[in-house]
Amino acid sequence: MNVLKIIVQIIIIYSFLLIGQWLATSSGLPIPGSIIGLLLLLLCLTLHIVPLQWVDLGARFLTGELLLFFIPAAVGIINYDNIIGIIGIKLIAVIFLSTIIVMTVTALIADRLTTEKRSISHASTKN
Amino acid sequence: MLLLKISVGFIGTILIFVGCKKLYEKYTKLWLSPLLTCPAIIISFLVVCQIDYADYNQGAQWLTKLLGPATVAFAIPIYKNFVLIKKNASTIILSLVTGCIVALASSYLIALLFGINNSMIKSLVPRSITTPIAMDISTFIGGEANMTAVFVIVTGLAGSVIGPLIIRFLAIKSAAAKGLMLGMGAHGCGTSKAFEFGEKEGMFSSVAMILAALLSIVITEILLPLFA
Repeated sequence: MNVLKIIVQIIIIYSFLLIGQWLATSSGLPIPGSIIGLLLLLLCLTLHIVPLQWVDLGARFLTGELLLFFIPAAVGIINYDNIIGIIGIKLIAVIFLSTIIVMTVTALIADRLTTEKRSISHASTKN
Repeated sequence: MLLLKISVGFIGTILIFVGCKKLYEKYTKLWLSPLLTCPAIIISFLVVCQIDYADYNQGAQWLTKLLGPATVAFAIPIYKNFVLIKKNASTIILSLVTGCIVALASSYLIALLFGINNSMIKSLVPRSITTPIAMDISTFIGGEANMTAVFVIVTGLAGSVIGPLIIRFLAIKSAAAKGLMLGMGAHGCGTSKAFEFGEKEGMFSSVAMILAALLSIVITEILLPLFA
């Protein structure tokens, strides 16, 4: 029963993707259909056009099993002989270095801002 | 025969993934992440049995296609946590705008420094955002979309291994910072990791993943052409 529910809900979510893709191509905006679909679904949830129960289970499945959907692309690495060898090592080094920098910068800024906010609200409750 | 081929790629991938996930849940070692073990097992299987990737992908591509609705589905965690997002709006926007610029610029500059050729750099630059959108941006700036998909995966692998180490090393405490860095640095793969830390971390990571994609589109497709 739950499996059937999940499948129906995925179809509902999928229809938002299709509408988003249709809007993206017909408007010519450089925004991908998936993002337009997301915004539309968010809008419909906020306006209670689509009740949460209609999509909750399906969304939980899709977001919870996200890694599974990356597997075939990851297996696709075997198609790229030219990124094996010295260039491959260089590319992996670039990706690792850049990821370290991005994560460190993002974490430090976000952590600084949240602790600052906390200490400001802390100070204001003291006064 | 064709139907059999399709279902083997599709169901086989799901079964191996479920097995890898069980193994990871039992031992929770970083190198046992299903994102590492599952492709490794499938690749060895394809190599040993001399099966073409194209044949395997006939069935498996249906899983890749679910990345589209999965992106749309992130509307639900955002909807459920709208109050929390609004409360942290300035933190989210400031850290992600900086994160996006650093992601694009550092990929470009480090690749240049390592002497990587221009066409490959273009495929490399959008690597930190979610696959379908990274491929769009890659095509737009003159890269090769399929190559970008591979770099996105390697980034996801790198991020889900490095992320927890950085959190420990920098002693990051707030759920917002943990989630934002994982979603910004390693898209959906980072977001899966963030949900392992907790519901709140996962939510911030979902927001980061979506906003990073949007901001990268704005930066590369709208701002860059203005300067070029």
